[in-house]
Amino acid sequence: MPVTEREELAAAGRAAGIRLTAREVADLLPAWKRYLGLVEELRAAMALEDWDEGG
Amino acid sequence: MRAVEALTSAPLVEIARSLRQRKVSPLELVDAYGRRIEQASGLHAFITLPGERARQDARRAGRRLAQGESGPLLGVPIAVKDLFATRGVRTTAGSRILKDWVPSRDAAVVARLRAAGAIIFGKTNLHEFAYGVSNANPWWGVAHNPHDPSRSPGGSSGGSAIAVAAGLCAAALGSDTGGSIRVPSSLCGCVGLKPTFGAIPLDGTFPLGWSLDHAGPLARTVGDAGFLLGVLTGMDAGRRARRTSTRGLRVGVLQGSILQKVQPRVADQVDAAAAALRRRGLRIREVTIPEMEWTVATQLVTLRAEASAVHRRWIRTRPRSYGADVRIRLQLGALVAGADYVLAQRMRGRLRAAFERIFRNVDVLLLPTTPIIAPVIGDRTVRWRSGEEPVDGALVRLTAPFNLIGLPALSVPFGHVAGLPVGVQVVAQWMDEARVLAVGRLIEELADA
Repeated sequence: MPVTEREELAAAGRAAGIRLTAREVADLLPAWKRYLGLVEELRAAMALEDWDEGG
Repeated sequence: MRAVEALTSAPLVEIARSLRQRKVSPLELVDAYGRRIEQASGLHAFITLPGERARQDARRAGRRLAQGESGPLLGVPIAVKDLFATRGVRTTAGSRILKDWVPSRDAAVVARLRAAGAIIFGKTNLHEFAYGVSNANPWWGVAHNPHDPSRSPGGSSGGSAIAVAAGLCAAALGSDTGGSIRVPSSLCGCVGLKPTFGAIPLDGTFPLGWSLDHAGPLARTVGDAGFLLGVLTGMDAGRRARRTSTRGLRVGVLQGSILQKVQPRVADQVDAAAAALRRRGLRIREVTIPEMEWTVATQLVTLRAEASAVHRRWIRTRPRSYGADVRIRLQLGALVAGADYVLAQRMRGRLRAAFERIFRNVDVLLLPTTPIIAPVIGDRTVRWRSGEEPVDGALVRLTAPFNLIGLPALSVPFGHVAGLPVGVQVVAQWMDEARVLAVGRLIEELADA
């Protein structure tokens, strides 16, 4: 069970067939976190729309 | 000699006319451009130089002209971004992976240029696989801005923009997935046109993101861009633009929070362009499009997933064959969840609806092409009052919406800031290139006034 962000990223890579070295995980982490943040913002924006439509 | 040297920086239509009137021969022109390319070699505009093959094509074009043959581009040297396949000529897509690929067929756009009589004049530098906007290519050289070599030309069609702006060819072809024609055009001071999605065929073009990719011309004038659009599509938008009256057209000038992250002197140039259009009888109104706030996230998710699909095999089997920045983007793209991609496509629908609403009340939209002038090579972030933003994200923030929804968009130079060019972007309804070009021509005229 991955517990740190680095372990989580490495596990996601393995699941997608991407072998990542420890150095690569470190390189990817800032961009990965930025990506997750942007997706969360998109999700929040669309959830608002869902609510509007549902109402 | 002097006449041909002066012609190298002239508009394409003037070059074509001089060739038809046999004031200059295609070979003289090709050789003059060759000398200029040699002088500008430090800019790294080309991956494959025009070379002897272009001289042979020039001799052949010269014979055809002497026999009274005509063709819209007969003998005109056009450079093409090195992701368009060229029969018998190496096509690298700016990568190490394809460094030895010699296609057996021309891309559709290259075939159309050749059919019009053009000389395919070298293959221009690009960001590796067109996946980035710095044009700092690790395999073929870091490209430099012709106005200030310490600055980036932008990308990914950076080599094409340099070649046009520095007078190394008559015009060039580029591709645009998030702004890759318009961004370097803006930073280098030339005209760049991204037509409506699907208007120009992409067969034989190395893909980056299938639902976002566009091809289009980079040129020294709006008239040249319209002329090339005609050659590439058969659309007569360029001719119609010349006959289109702009008086009374409704111009929406973008306002709102998205412009808080635009350099003030860049915003001033757009305001000056709008004021000049108002003086010429166009009706200026302010518009806000809050949905544009979601552009970067929507583009990022969509492109990461699509580019990762293009590179699915190589990124798993030979990741070391990519430059570091592109490798990171592709590796992260492989991790995009299907649900996230669907989310981005739903947001794309929302963006489309927002622009449909806007275009009920305006005929064209006016906004900066890029929120910043050409960044210093190597700069990674831009500082705003609200915080830092990655340079690559900032550069496409105002261009990517029109890739997501496929609207035609044109970047036209309008003034300078700190000696560097500023591009103003004109956008219209789908397939309304004529209006984009008509307003673009007027802005060009007002910039020169």
